[in-house]
Amino acid sequence: MGARANPDEPRGLPWVWLAGIAVALTGALWVFPLWRVLPLAGSGSVAATVFNPAGFAARFWTETLPSARTKAVDAAVLAVALRRDPAEAARLYAHAVGLGTPYYHVRGTGRVTAVERNVIVVAPEGGDGVTLALETGPIFGNTVRDGTALLNVNDFPSLADFNAVSTELNRLVEERVLPELRRQATVGTRLEFAGCAEAADPAASGPLLTLIPLFAEAR
Amino acid sequence: MPRSTVPRALALLGALLLAACKPSTPAAPQSTASANPPATSHRVAVVISTLNNPWFVVLADNARDRAKELGYEAVVFDSQNDPAKEAQHFDNLIASGYGAVLFNCTDAKGSIANVRRAKAAGIPVFCMDREIEASDAAMSQVLSDNYSGCVALGQYFVKQVGETGRYVELLGLVADTNTWNRSKGFHSVVDRFPGLKMVAQQSAEFDRTKALEVLESILQANPDINAVFCGNDAMAMGAYQALLAAGKADKVKVFGFDGADDVVKSVAEGKIAATVMQFPKTMARTAAENADKYFKGERNFPQRLPVAVELVTADNVAKYGDYGRKGKP
Repeated sequence: MGARANPDEPRGLPWVWLAGIAVALTGALWVFPLWRVLPLAGSGSVAATVFNPAGFAARFWTETLPSARTKAVDAAVLAVALRRDPAEAARLYAHAVGLGTPYYHVRGTGRVTAVERNVIVVAPEGGDGVTLALETGPIFGNTVRDGTALLNVNDFPSLADFNAVSTELNRLVEERVLPELRRQATVGTRLEFAGCAEAADPAASGPLLTLIPLFAEAR
Repeated sequence: MPRSTVPRALALLGALLLAACKPSTPAAPQSTASANPPATSHRVAVVISTLNNPWFVVLADNARDRAKELGYEAVVFDSQNDPAKEAQHFDNLIASGYGAVLFNCTDAKGSIANVRRAKAAGIPVFCMDREIEASDAAMSQVLSDNYSGCVALGQYFVKQVGETGRYVELLGLVADTNTWNRSKGFHSVVDRFPGLKMVAQQSAEFDRTKALEVLESILQANPDINAVFCGNDAMAMGAYQALLAAGKADKVKVFGFDGADDVVKSVAEGKIAATVMQFPKTMARTAAENADKYFKGERNFPQRLPVAVELVTADNVAKYGDYGRKGKP
């Protein structure tokens, strides 16, 4: 048989010791924890800052883009400058994000001179006979996003999000501009237009630049 | 032990465990750039993902040489595509008192911790070419516009291959954002043509030898492909070797990305259909010059600075060479 506890011994005494040790250990572990629970970097604001490229692009399209048209360079002015000196034209009228690709934001009025599979060719009024092309096929790349110089990569959570904005803006051009442009544009039609183009060296023959149209209306 | 001791002991154990895993007090916000003390060390560390690829050697050499031109002691550290080695380099350079890091990361997410440790030690990090997925860790990030480059490459791909065909995509490192920005740019174009079927998409980790092995394996199941899109030029050369060995080099078009010298020459010779010129010298020099500005007191840098890229094809290849555009610094 095992020994019995002495009924005269104070019952609470071992627990006082145990509790004291526990308090000391708890304090020590509080100061020097065995492990720590850390939030993932930035996770606290993830839910609040989930980026919605489609929503952003839709707001940009309706709230910001229309008023920016007035700041675009006149197509005739650009056409003359490009003919004279492409490098100087780029210096005066193109803009780039960082050390990125330079773009023109252009507006003008002109007559349709040709309708081809994926472009409509326009001769801007006052452009001294030069022609520009308006893209009417699938829209790709960052020309729409970067062409107006209104959006800055550093205002977006990541490059991937910034690129997703391009996809959405290109989709809006295809949905909201191109169908009506294709319907209206026949040879001889007078068009008011605005759009963006990469500031590459002008083509040796044919249209000087190919614009992605952001706006086009028959006049 | 009396029975009542068990729940008491369990309660005590629970309390101890709770204490042991108490949430840490959130780290104090890291000092803003403008609050950083002026850099005192004039030593610059160039930490590169791998030197087993000539393109990164150019990046490293130009970063180091530009830093030296600007009057700094500069040393290159090779991470050998190993995040653990990269972390060791950061331990060493922090302990050694370097004043700035020009950084090409191994992992867009995993490398953030290294950048934060350097920042906490008062060492600014200037990323080159590869993005880390944080906007508050590096002092700035000079990055190629990979998406745009692969949009242009995708458009050229459709012109060359046509609107119908079967192709393979060789991806780079899956933890690198460049891999996905390139892939998404390419697919934003090519996926619009339902006649173009991707029969395989596999990572070859930006490595020439792996690309050769991966494509050899893919070709066994898909001997009738028309094209291979590779996320970098090293993989494009590996893919070309695999096609050459299979007797298909003249039937299958290979597309790369980087503008590496051997691929630019191969474009001129008609072996590779196209590549995209990134400008490693521009990125390296810009990062070194930003570090110099930092040493001189500048603290206001754009977090991300995109650098334009250019499509290189048989039509314009004469303009390119030596990891850039001829006549362009």
